[in-house]
Amino acid sequence: MIWLTWRQFRPQAVISLAALAAFAILLGATGPHLASMYATSGIAGCHGTGGCSYVVSSFLGLLSGFYTLVFMLGIAGVILAPAVIGVFWGAPLIAREFETGTFRLAWTQSITRARWLASKLALPGLAAMAVTEGLSLMYGWWAAPIGQAARFANNSNFPLGMSPYSLLAFDAHGVVPLGYAAFGFALGVTAGVLIRRTLPAMALTLAIFAAVQVAMPLAIRPSLFPPAHMTQSLAANFSGQQSAGPGGTFGLTLDYIDSEPGAWIFSSGAVNAAGQPVSLMPAACVNAHTGDPNQCLASHGIRIAVSYLPTSRYWPIQLTETGIYLALALVLAGFSYWRLGRRLP
Amino acid sequence: MTAVIETKGLGKRYRQLQALADCTLSVPAGHVVGLVGPNGAGKSTLLNLAAGLLAPTTGTIEVLGGPAPAQLAKLGFLAQDAPVYATLSVADHLKLGARLNPGWDQALARARIDQLDLDPGQKAGTLSGGQRAQLALTLALAKRPRLLILDEPVASLDPLARREFLQDLMEAVAEQDLSVVLSSHLIADLERVCDYLIVLVGSRVRVAGPVEELLATHHLLTGPRRDPATLPDGQQVISASHTDVQSTLLVRTSSPVLDPAWTVSEVGLEDMVLAYMRQAAGPGRRRTPGNHLEVQK
Repeated sequence: MIWLTWRQFRPQAVISLAALAAFAILLGATGPHLASMYATSGIAGCHGTGGCSYVVSSFLGLLSGFYTLVFMLGIAGVILAPAVIGVFWGAPLIAREFETGTFRLAWTQSITRARWLASKLALPGLAAMAVTEGLSLMYGWWAAPIGQAARFANNSNFPLGMSPYSLLAFDAHGVVPLGYAAFGFALGVTAGVLIRRTLPAMALTLAIFAAVQVAMPLAIRPSLFPPAHMTQSLAANFSGQQSAGPGGTFGLTLDYIDSEPGAWIFSSGAVNAAGQPVSLMPAACVNAHTGDPNQCLASHGIRIAVSYLPTSRYWPIQLTETGIYLALALVLAGFSYWRLGRRLP
Repeated sequence: MTAVIETKGLGKRYRQLQALADCTLSVPAGHVVGLVGPNGAGKSTLLNLAAGLLAPTTGTIEVLGGPAPAQLAKLGFLAQDAPVYATLSVADHLKLGARLNPGWDQALARARIDQLDLDPGQKAGTLSGGQRAQLALTLALAKRPRLLILDEPVASLDPLARREFLQDLMEAVAEQDLSVVLSSHLIADLERVCDYLIVLVGSRVRVAGPVEELLATHHLLTGPRRDPATLPDGQQVISASHTDVQSTLLVRTSSPVLDPAWTVSEVGLEDMVLAYMRQAAGPGRRRTPGNHLEVQK
C-alpha cells in the first residue's frame, strides 16, 4: 500500500523537494557571508543597550536590500508551508478519491480500509513535517546572526529587528513549524473526509488554518505560562517612553528590558512606591520644565512595572505549542479514521 | 446450491433516502447472475453492500459465507463507471493490483493487457471509456476472485465496446470458474451473458431463477376477453391487458396451458422482465388505467 501512496504522492513530493533544494542553494550561497559580517560587527562582545544599539543598528543597516528580502522570503516560506501543505496535500488526499470514485477501486483490493488510510496519512504526513521543519532549520541557521542582533534591537528596526517572540519570528523558528505542518495536513485530510469534494475542502482548510494561526499567538500563546513581573526605577538611562494625557494624567511604557533582551513584554505602566498603579501626574512634576521629567517622577517614588515573558520561557513555549498542534493533528487523524471506518459513504 | 450472496432483511438508509429496504435474497454460486431492475431499485446499493463499501443500516448480508468486509481478497468488484486513477499509467495499475492483492495473477493481467492492445505506459486518464472498463475488469479478474461483482459495467459504453466487454467477460468466466453478479437496467445485455436472473424492484425480489427455466415457465396467452381470476390455480398472472373482445395475459406456470381458447406463444426475456417491473410499479404506471385487472400471488 505504501507503494500506491508514494506513487500518488510523487508529483507533490518532487515539486516540494525542488522548492526545498532551490531555497537551500539560496541560503547556502549567502549564509556564510552573512555570518562573517556578523562576526566582524562586534555584536558578540557588546555590553548593555548603549554599547550594543550602535553596532546592532550598523549591522542591520548593512543588510538592507538583498538580505532583508531573503529574510522575509524565508519567514514567509516557513509560515506559509503548513497552509500550502494542508490545502494542496491534505485536502485532496481523500476528497479526490471520493470525487473521482477511485475509493471504490482502492477499497475493494485485498487490504483493509484502515491500512489504506494509515498509509495515506503516514507518508505524506511525515513528509509534511519533514519538509516544513527542514525549511525552518535551514532558515534558522541562515538567520541566526540576525536573530542574535535582533535581541538587542527594538521594533523600530523592523523587519530585521524582530525579537524571538514576535508574531512572525516565533512561528518560523524552533519546532513549532513541525506542529503546524502536522496540524495543517491533518486538517486538510479531515476536511476532505467530511466534505468529499476537493475545492470546498481546500477552502475550508485554508479558512480554519488561518483562523487557528491567528488565534494561537493572540489568545493562547500569551497564557500558556504565567508572566513574570518586575519594577524598574526611572533611572537616568531609562529607555521607556513617557506620554502625557489630558487632565494631568500620564503613562509610562517600556518595550525593551535591558536585563532581559528579547523578552516578550505584555504590559507596562507607572506604579507608586507602594506598587499601586498611578495615572495622575504628581502636582510638583506637572510644570517641572527644568531637568528630566522622569527624574521628577522618580523623586516622587514612581517606578515602572512590567509584566513579561523572559527568553528562558522560549523553549518551554515552543515545545508546549508544538505538543498542542501535534495533539490536534492526532485527534483529527483519529476522527478521519473513525469517520471512514464507521460511517461509510 | 450454495449462495455467494445471502441477505436477510437488508436495508440501507442515507440521511433522507431509503436506498434499500428489507431486502432478502439469495444469489446462487456457479452462475452468471443478472440483477435487473429500474433505476432506484437498489441494485447499486446492494452490490456496494456486498463489496463491503457500505455498511447495512438494518439486516445482514453474507458474501461467500462470511461477512461482506472480510471477503475482500476473494471478491472482484468493478464499480459503476469503472473508476481508475487518471494520473497513473496502465502498468502502474497492474503494479497496484500486484501490491495490494496476495492472490494476484500477473501473467493473466499482462496477457489481458496485451490482448486488449493497451499501451502499458499510457495514463489511465487518457483511455477511452471501453478501455477504462477493460482495465478495471483486468484488475478485478487478476485478483483471482471467487466472486466477481460488476455494477452497471456497460452502462456508459458505446454498443461496440459493450459487445467486446461482455464477450471478454464471458471468456474470462469460462476460463476461471467463478461466480458473477452483474447489474444492469438493459435487459438485452443481460440476456446475452446471464444464465440466472433476479428482478429487483423497490428493494424486493420480484422473480428469480435460471433464465431457461424462466423462459420455459412464462407464456403469453391471447384469446377471447376473460377475467384473469378465472384461470386455473397453477397459472399466475404477471400482467394482463384487455381490449373489448380480447385478453392478453402473461402467466407463469410450470404445467402446460391446455385451455384451447388460448393462443399460447413464447415470451422474450425483455417482455417478461418489463411485465414484472410494471406489476411492481402498480396501477399508476399502467397505460390504460382501469381497463384491466391485476392478480398478484
